[in-house]
Amino acid sequence: MPDALFYVLVVLLLVLGLASLALAMERHWRQLRHGLPLPRRTTLALRAMGAAALAASLALCLWLDHGTIASLVWVMALVPAALAVTFTFSWRPQWFAPLLCWVGPRP
Amino acid sequence: MFPTFRLSMTWLHTWFGLVLGYVLVVVFFFGSLSVFDREIDRWAVPETRFEAQPMPSFDEVLAPVYRELKPHPDDMVATARRVIGPLPDPDTLKLASLYAYTTHRDPVLLVGGEFGIPNKPRDASDEHQHVHGWATIDPRTGTPLPLDRLKIGSDFFYPMHYSLHLHAWNNVGYWIVGFAALVMLAALVSGVVMHRKIFRELFTFRPQKQPQRRLLDLHNLTGVVALPFHFFFALTGLIVFAAIYLPVSEKVLKPLHDAHEQLESTRTGLPLEPSGQPAAMASVDAMVAEAQRRWAERGMAGEVGLLFADHLGDANGYVSVYRAGTDRVSLTGEGIHFRASTGEVIRVEPAPGVVAGINDFLTGLHLQHFRHWLLRWLYFLGGMAGCVCVATGFLFFVEKRKQQHAREGRSGARWVDALAVTTVTGTLIATGAILVANRLLPDDLPARGLWEERVFWIAWLCALLHAAWRSAPVQQARRSAAWAEQCLAVSVLAVAAVLLNWITTGDHLWHTLTTGYWPVAGVDLTLLAAAAIAGVTARRLWSAAPTWEPAHA
Repeated sequence: MPDALFYVLVVLLLVLGLASLALAMERHWRQLRHGLPLPRRTTLALRAMGAAALAASLALCLWLDHGTIASLVWVMALVPAALAVTFTFSWRPQWFAPLLCWVGPRP
Repeated sequence: MFPTFRLSMTWLHTWFGLVLGYVLVVVFFFGSLSVFDREIDRWAVPETRFEAQPMPSFDEVLAPVYRELKPHPDDMVATARRVIGPLPDPDTLKLASLYAYTTHRDPVLLVGGEFGIPNKPRDASDEHQHVHGWATIDPRTGTPLPLDRLKIGSDFFYPMHYSLHLHAWNNVGYWIVGFAALVMLAALVSGVVMHRKIFRELFTFRPQKQPQRRLLDLHNLTGVVALPFHFFFALTGLIVFAAIYLPVSEKVLKPLHDAHEQLESTRTGLPLEPSGQPAAMASVDAMVAEAQRRWAERGMAGEVGLLFADHLGDANGYVSVYRAGTDRVSLTGEGIHFRASTGEVIRVEPAPGVVAGINDFLTGLHLQHFRHWLLRWLYFLGGMAGCVCVATGFLFFVEKRKQQHAREGRSGARWVDALAVTTVTGTLIATGAILVANRLLPDDLPARGLWEERVFWIAWLCALLHAAWRSAPVQQARRSAAWAEQCLAVSVLAVAAVLLNWITTGDHLWHTLTTGYWPVAGVDLTLLAAAAIAGVTARRLWSAAPTWEPAHA
């Protein structure tokens, strides 16, 4: 079932994208970099990373299905992805630490 | 009335959301189940547990089925009330039109038609001079299923989703659901207005905070992350039924409607009335083959979804062949129409224009005829998110007010809580009960399907009474015991349904999973998942028991 693997990839990309966008926000940045300021450059870089991952997942959807179905799959797949990102920030925020491995010193 | 716009939105969201929320949670839940209506049908009618079938040969399989088809006794009774004089013997009535309908998920085929009657209607504007007959058949052999087999998914849960099975007072259920959908759109907009930090708290759930904060976080989360889904489903639900809610062309502009019908018939070449000249029907299989050839030329998946034939046995007779739209969202059939007597093509439906195209897309988005299992599950998840959103809304309402109501000796929070129990866990209990009844009632029970429905309603009523009885502690600002007890009941019923399916049909999970029969395996697995969630919830509610102790003890 290689198709199923592609859809898993779609959801993973969405999780990465949404998590990056979340880390660009003060509230979630503080969860991983407690006490450190969030530089403007990092915010922009994280947002660009997030947008790129979301765009990549949409492109993958469009490659997998007819355009109308693909757009629905993408919008609907945002739901489990956003829930996964939220609950990870609630209980296991450190799981997203690798997303910040390229950003300055750890606290 | 209110000092700020935000406060007036809060009032709207709170009170309309509360009252119509009870309807919305039911609509969301049965809508989610309707995503898998055909699969639930397989679970409930074990005789139909085989692979999905394409539309069978009309000439060989279906033609004899229509020769045997009789007017349905229920519709004979309903029609007799509408017309003057007694109806003729149903066995003598002749079939005037016919249809056959299937989807890519259906092993069984729905067939039916209209039988002409000579009686005049009581109401002169009633132009419906027919009695209907219908049956569900095994398309491999043409054998009909017994009429009292209840297809719980498509004939009970699905109509529940849009009509609540309330047919009194001119189908009041449709109107309640429509109004609830409208209120949902208003609740979504007002919810966004009320939300002070919609972006900053987009990914926020704080389990360590106070219950009230946690509930609001969960309410916002499930509402916001699935906002496009909630919005488009409420909107498209209204669009699907627009003709019922605003029957302008048929009721207000009747002469225009009739003139349009004439004009449409001239334009399309599809005769509106029979000619009176008898004519035999040419091979329908040849027409289907021609339709499939033309679809293939346009690069479209070519399974037939709907066959329709009008003016049977008449020189004006025609046959319409529609595609099952499994490869795109839009609900279009790319219909091709043939003269019944010769098999020549009368008309090929052109691609829809912009407005019709948007309508087809929005309708298809809601009715989901496409072949895409992941998208089905995502819809199911969206619906469940909607249920959680409404349910946490109820709980937040109660949490926010119960202390104050307890101090003032008011019972408002108690009844809100009792109704929340009824529509959240009570709905699950009724659903579990109908599935258990489906497996336990004797096969030869007359009107078996009706009994299954009765069990559903009785179970729901019991849940309501239980919730009302056990919610007394809410009046002292403590938690109703009904939540935990009904969660336990849900868990027991769900496990019982899976076990009874095994005992009565032999199709245990290991068997359905290893043979890959997903319709039944999927229902069983979902039941087990529901049992696990309900069981864990019950245990957690009990271990949090101290809140039930009197507040002053």
